[in-house]
Amino acid sequence: MTKKKTASTNMAPARPRLTALLGAAAAVLMSAAVQAQAADPIKIAYNGDISGSPSAESGQIGVLGIGAAVEDINKRGGVLGRPLEFLVRDDLGQPPKAIQNMTDLIDREKVSVVFGPTNSGNALAWKHIANQKRMPVLVSSASSTAITEGPSSGNYLFRVSMVDREQASALLAYVKKNPEAKAVGFFVETTGYGQAGLKDLEQIAALHGMKPVSIEKFDARDTDMTSQLSKAKAAGADTLVVWAQAAPLGHLVRSMEKLDYFPKVFTTWAASFSGFPEVAGPKLMEWPVFLTTSSERKSAEADSLFARIGPKLANPSMFWAASQAYDTVLLWAAAAEQAGDTKGEAVRAALESLNKPVAGMVKTYDKPFSATQHEGLTAADYHWSRWKDGKVVDFNDPVLAGLQPADFKK
Amino acid sequence: MLQAIIGGLTLGSVYALIALGFNLTYTTTRTLNFAQGDFVSVGAFVGLGTVGVLTAALGADAVGYVWLYALAAVAAALAMGVLGLPLYLAAIRPFAGKPGMSWVVSTIGFGIVLQSAALSVWGLGARMLPAPFGDEVFRVGEAGFRSQELVVLVLAFAILGAFDLAMRRTAIGRCMRAVALNRDAAALMGIDVPRVMAMAFLASSALAGLSGVLVAPILSASLFMGVIIALKGFSAAIIGGLTNPRGCMAGGLLIGLVESLTALWSAQWREIMVFLLVILVLAMAPNGLFGRKLVEKV
Repeated sequence: MTKKKTASTNMAPARPRLTALLGAAAAVLMSAAVQAQAADPIKIAYNGDISGSPSAESGQIGVLGIGAAVEDINKRGGVLGRPLEFLVRDDLGQPPKAIQNMTDLIDREKVSVVFGPTNSGNALAWKHIANQKRMPVLVSSASSTAITEGPSSGNYLFRVSMVDREQASALLAYVKKNPEAKAVGFFVETTGYGQAGLKDLEQIAALHGMKPVSIEKFDARDTDMTSQLSKAKAAGADTLVVWAQAAPLGHLVRSMEKLDYFPKVFTTWAASFSGFPEVAGPKLMEWPVFLTTSSERKSAEADSLFARIGPKLANPSMFWAASQAYDTVLLWAAAAEQAGDTKGEAVRAALESLNKPVAGMVKTYDKPFSATQHEGLTAADYHWSRWKDGKVVDFNDPVLAGLQPADFKK
Repeated sequence: MLQAIIGGLTLGSVYALIALGFNLTYTTTRTLNFAQGDFVSVGAFVGLGTVGVLTAALGADAVGYVWLYALAAVAAALAMGVLGLPLYLAAIRPFAGKPGMSWVVSTIGFGIVLQSAALSVWGLGARMLPAPFGDEVFRVGEAGFRSQELVVLVLAFAILGAFDLAMRRTAIGRCMRAVALNRDAAALMGIDVPRVMAMAFLASSALAGLSGVLVAPILSASLFMGVIIALKGFSAAIIGGLTNPRGCMAGGLLIGLVESLTALWSAQWREIMVFLLVILVLAMAPNGLFGRKLVEKV
């Protein structure tokens, strides 16, 4: 008993000390946990082709742009006080791989946002997953019109890139306004890219009351389009609107040279990819006029970004891919800061009602998105471009100077 | 029309070279190299690399230096020919003469390895190999041609002719024909059959590499370009008769012409017409237009 009592007596003063110690330890642990949570990085990811198809060039450059934006944001303290951790997943240009990457990033990696992809087909393959899982996606490269068309239950895909329909709108606005364009022909690839482009062209031409004198198709692997061009020539086409990837476009202008048939050629941003000048050669590459989102650098910030990543670019004329990708990160970060959260619903709502302008590389985004409009760039933001002395430069002429907003039918 | 005929014969002669490659391996080993397309693509890039290295080293302009192009062609043929040996040893020899079709997968696998390795070296993009006689268009009436089309046409016909002659007049040619005719009898006659088989793979791979360099200034070199060329070459071999080298050559020219002339009417029907022709020929002459019926003794 005595022993017990003694023990009891001895134990009595120890309890408050132990409690205090445990309390202190708990406080330290909680504090550490809070600090650890505060320092926990926010995972963001790129899911796109960086090795599997010729379009991978824009994916590789896009990744450089996102990496630069992450670096800049982390230097100024991250987003919501947390650093960004950037994951890159190569979808090899294959939809099944892209879907696999997407579910892995959302379910296992628990990323807060996905950027990319490179190929439109892959975006269309997994956009339902992003919408169902409420994962914000900022499309930094793919251009298919349907990508940002979302379900009424919530559309989580936003874009800072070219849009096929907007490109068709801009190109046909020019053709309609050009008094020298008396007979237009459409030339498209037989790929999904070309077919979707033809659909947009035909619909917008109908809005203008235009009827092409010739519609010709070619396989993306074709290297001789003289037979199709002969038909367009016979039909009297003085202007061609072409929807093709870079290398086939190069073969098209080479075929034009063989026939000595040089109608005005207007085409998409694919002409700025390195495959086009490589195939067309230094003389013929200067023939088409095309659209980009930034043909020439026009700000100190863009110069600074170019100084950082330009040496890594095999084709500096595709710097626009880095600029667009850089801007997607800024827009998402602004939305997360405004929402005070990185959860999908909150970020989507904030993106649709950004209350502060975001100064990006391509432009300053002042309320760029709304509940029904998920395109950060539209036809009026595009730069008319052409190749000159090995560089993509601005294209200007009186027809372009006279284009009014009403000319852009959509 | 003239443009279409010249264009068709140009591409057709390249298909004929590939078809001849299929003929060589099939007759000697009863197997086919399904990596042939990758040998075409990689061969084009070896040629491109050779021209690049030489022009950089010599400070010369590739255009107009015929000997640079000739060296590139030799380098591609040699490099791909030498690569044909490990292909034979790793992907064919363990399976040749044995039942089963394992060599189909092993040759495809070899091609994938080759293409992936090349992708890591040269990347994805299309590149133009400078044409040795320049890129200017010259005209005959309404039609326009580039010098490389004639170079391909002349060289391919010369190579096909030389092969045809070599197969009939040289010792190695006779050995290959003997092995093709009867492997066991050839062995009994003292012919080193495995060596002849290896030679067949070397020659067929070299032809593929050379084809790559020939067409690169016309089609632009890309690591994905070989698949369709090899497929058309295989179709040419099937149409002409896999066992008949002259038939393979004729099949190549026929496919090239059908392709080109169909495009005059509707480019979208080109592939359809080519493969309809393959089906039609097989329905009427299962061994090809010039092939002979094989009797397998068991």
